[in-house]
Amino acid sequence: MKKSTKKAVISYRKSCKALGTGLSHYILMDRKAK
Amino acid sequence: MKQPTKSVGKAKGSPTRKNASGAPAPSRGQFVNTGNGPLLQPIDIGHPEYSAVIEADTAFWSLVPKEQLADALAGELPKAYKKAAPKFREEMEYLRFGLKPSAVYFNPTERCNLNCTYCYIPEKMRRSGSHMSADRVIKALDILKKYFRTTVPKGNLPQIIFHGAEPMLNREAVFAGIDAFHKDFRFGVQTNATLLDDSAVEFLTSREVSVGISLDAPTAMVADRTRKNWDGQGVYRAVLDAMDRLKDYHGWSVICTVSSENMKQLPKLVDFFHEREVPTCLMNILRCTLKPSHAVKPDDASAAKYFIQALDRTYELYQQTGRKLTVGNFANILLAIIAPTARRLMCDISPCGGGRCFFALAPDGGMYPCSEFIGLDEFRGGNLFKDSIPAVLETKPFKLVTERKVEDIDPCNRCAIRHFCGSPCPAEAHEMNGGMHRTGAFCEFYEEQVRYAFRLIADEKAEAFLWDGWDRGLKDTFSINAL
Repeated sequence: MKKSTKKAVISYRKSCKALGTGLSHYILMDRKAK
Repeated sequence: MKQPTKSVGKAKGSPTRKNASGAPAPSRGQFVNTGNGPLLQPIDIGHPEYSAVIEADTAFWSLVPKEQLADALAGELPKAYKKAAPKFREEMEYLRFGLKPSAVYFNPTERCNLNCTYCYIPEKMRRSGSHMSADRVIKALDILKKYFRTTVPKGNLPQIIFHGAEPMLNREAVFAGIDAFHKDFRFGVQTNATLLDDSAVEFLTSREVSVGISLDAPTAMVADRTRKNWDGQGVYRAVLDAMDRLKDYHGWSVICTVSSENMKQLPKLVDFFHEREVPTCLMNILRCTLKPSHAVKPDDASAAKYFIQALDRTYELYQQTGRKLTVGNFANILLAIIAPTARRLMCDISPCGGGRCFFALAPDGGMYPCSEFIGLDEFRGGNLFKDSIPAVLETKPFKLVTERKVEDIDPCNRCAIRHFCGSPCPAEAHEMNGGMHRTGAFCEFYEEQVRYAFRLIADEKAEAFLWDGWDRGLKDTFSINAL
């Protein structure tokens, strides 16, 4: 008989220093920005 | 800029609720959803195996196998939540109330060479408004440079986005400003692309200026319905020429405004953008701030359906080619769930970024919480050339926006996803729906995006919808993968 695999609960969070540099209508492309 | 070590306490809904006399309710908070226990709301996300459980105030979430939901709520999940909650609450408080301005939408002209159906700038301004002179642009940037020294941490550059109306109509002044202050700001230009000739592209790309252009559909027949000049002629062909000029540049993006006119085209637009190697696009839902835009307002549920089909298509293309087309506004909602502090856009947070993370500058020096309010005199907080910026940020017009929060809006105050959506947009709520304590024009569009985002997380696909390097500098602060 096959053993049933119990699915895992998923929950995670990542954090960084929030700088609030976000805009709204526009997204600044910063791939090369320092 | 240090994050505060304790909550700044401006949001309602403290973890321990009090009764009418002000005394704490005699509940130890042992049980979920009763007394002082955590409010963990189960949410159907449309996934065959998982439901979401959300604590709205802290933006805590968990995906629980459906058959384990009752056990999880009675067992280890509230314990895990209680452990994480103080840090999460502090993080949300800082994000919502602790940030300082670091960007300006700089409108160097009131004029535009186009007359798009849904523009939020009044027609009279766009037809015959004024330019800001080059000298005034330089003076304004100098004032802003000094101000941002007091708000932006050392090592970070504030952002100036030349925005519109159409900034390239005042090209000499804009370029003079960029050349004079290229060490002091990160510059961007949002343009309708009709004036991006070879020399303009050479100037902007050689100075690493980010360039955002606008296109609403993959065909002229649809794109030209909403974006046209004063003679009614569409500008699709001119935008494609600009896209060809920008193709090998790393720092460009395209904004599509989702309206009733183009929503069915969104999946095809993804193919179109991907083929032309657009690095990032925004598919922004129409803002209904001014009345002319109401004529092309899309139905909430239909817009969500086509938008999600478009997102599905980005995933298929990524699987086929290994190259992503990131839809920035959706990526931002994913980030709001998995890494709230890493957001790039500040519409889908409450209070929104208007007047607290950024503000808008009109060509006469007028200051507004956001470009959406330019043209609405009651939201003019002062003048950059006459008034102190910190004083303007404290004026009533700015406070109307910066103090608008989901706790005061029905049904947001009982909505589990209120900190993933933010109830945008205050300009829309005020002008279209009659007040700051009303919702904006769309709810289901955001509900469906959040449900979709959770399905991606459940299926371990979220990474495919985020920018390469999205988690650079991020730390894992919480994780459950079994209970």
